[in-house]
Amino acid sequence: MKKGILYSIQKNFWYLIFVLMVMVLVGFPLFWMASSSFKPSVELFKSPPLILPETPTLHWYMSAFSDSTVIRYFINSLIVSLSTMGINIVIATLGAYSLARFSYRGRRFITAAILSAYCIPPIMLMIPLYRIIAGMGMNSSYAGVVLGHLTLTLPFCVWILIPFFRKVPKEMEEAAIIDGASAFNVFWCIILPVCIPGILSAGIMVFILSWNEYLLSSVLVMSDTMKTLTVGLANYISSTEIDWGTIMALGTATTLPIVIMFSAIQKYFVEGLTAGAVKG
Amino acid sequence: MGNLRLIRQDRRFRPQQQTLGIIFIIPMVAFLLVFVVYPVLYNIFLSFTNARLIKKDYSFINFDNYKKIFTDLRFLTYVKNTVVWTVASVIGQLSLGLMIALMINRKSSGTGLRSFLLIPYVVPAVAIALVTKWVMNGDYGIISYWFQTLGLIEHRQSPLAIPGSAMAVLVIVNVWRSYPFPMLIYWATLKGIDKELYEAASVDGAGTIQSFLHITLPHLRDTTIVLVVLRIVWTATYFDLPWLITGGGPAGSTTHLPIMIYQASFGTFQTGYASSLSVILGLSLFLCVVFYVRKTISNDSGR
Repeated sequence: MKKGILYSIQKNFWYLIFVLMVMVLVGFPLFWMASSSFKPSVELFKSPPLILPETPTLHWYMSAFSDSTVIRYFINSLIVSLSTMGINIVIATLGAYSLARFSYRGRRFITAAILSAYCIPPIMLMIPLYRIIAGMGMNSSYAGVVLGHLTLTLPFCVWILIPFFRKVPKEMEEAAIIDGASAFNVFWCIILPVCIPGILSAGIMVFILSWNEYLLSSVLVMSDTMKTLTVGLANYISSTEIDWGTIMALGTATTLPIVIMFSAIQKYFVEGLTAGAVKG
Repeated sequence: MGNLRLIRQDRRFRPQQQTLGIIFIIPMVAFLLVFVVYPVLYNIFLSFTNARLIKKDYSFINFDNYKKIFTDLRFLTYVKNTVVWTVASVIGQLSLGLMIALMINRKSSGTGLRSFLLIPYVVPAVAIALVTKWVMNGDYGIISYWFQTLGLIEHRQSPLAIPGSAMAVLVIVNVWRSYPFPMLIYWATLKGIDKELYEAASVDGAGTIQSFLHITLPHLRDTTIVLVVLRIVWTATYFDLPWLITGGGPAGSTTHLPIMIYQASFGTFQTGYASSLSVILGLSLFLCVVFYVRKTISNDSGR
């Protein structure tokens, strides 16, 4: 057994070195952020820098989360991301099902429009959305950011949901139709239950995109108490006295839940994206 | 008898079914019309006006904004920055993505490794920007420290403070953030290549490198073309990371068109001027989008 492992290490030596290198390069920034967040002041500003904290501390987390504005940012982000996700799931599920299963005039055109909308970046929509949303007085509520995030996430969500609806065997629908089910009942009782995992994972992907978004979040909200986490964090860095320990702690606290959520759904994400993407 | 019933049932169901499909698509189409199509048109409209961020009234000034852009010397520099940023980032992320896709395409590598390698895709740009600023900090940053020790930069200096290297840092960080997408698409394409081709080639005495050149690469051509086009659109318009790391500095050396648009709009409040900048950026990428959409839809003929 031992000999086998040794042999396989020998045979794959360069491969393993490459894997290791890639893993270090990919992991380093995140590792460094987390490692820094547990270092006390003295170690944080030591030269040469320490790889791991010698006397790990939760000091930065305690001080960050005793600040009520920080808690506010987290709550704001949660409200915005959950609202975006909820509205998105409803509209995108209906839309994707319609595009995947029905045939009517203009269906192909709408599909092409969705894909084109997916290519429109936030920087292009920033100016008109700012004027529209400010004009409606919505930049003093969460509604403006949620609308902004929907423009970015809805096309993406529809696009990765189409393959999930496609995958449901036609026979399941036909059987229900023969039994006299109405079109709506076929959707509600047959299709929807089968597609729940795909829909939920697309929803979580939307949550992540919304949670991470910076540009529209910073532009579409006026009041300080409604700023999302990304905007709040970015403001820390532009303040004159940069509090690195707190920043690293908050960066870690912002990233960790997202990475955990993504790990949970990445199987569906891979499936949806590679099905909706190019076929060579 | 049974068959007859099936056909009749099916016929009766169809018109109703199509109605439901149309009802289902309405919310999505309505949303896109109001919050995507209308804003894009509104943006084009604004580009012909002297609208300001705060003031409500504005007037038509025809092509004055566009004339101003093309006589602005900084515009040329920022276009050059945009091109450097985009080309370097796209080449970087596609090469790294392909290399890693080839790496995880081996039988021995599990899905755990793939999941780990996908993580950068979902790390918030703000978090990456903060870490980058921290490791590049001239006094305490670990990367700055390494560079200083190697004598590449001066004592207490940060790579982000030097024009050329600031852009290099941005590109490297962007490649780190965005390689997972090409990696995933390449990996899916690689999985789709018929294994028998490789077996046949090895029977004919082809080595690993020959199989790669004559089987793998040709199969990746279409994928690469589409990826290049899509990533050009995304990278040339990507704002968050460069803005949060350098803010366009030092001395405008990392200012690309998205940052220029943002500064014109929210720095100097020239909404009309900023709109015309974004129309120019949009027009120059329009063909890429059309190509991408046509290619993707026709590859997947059902859609």
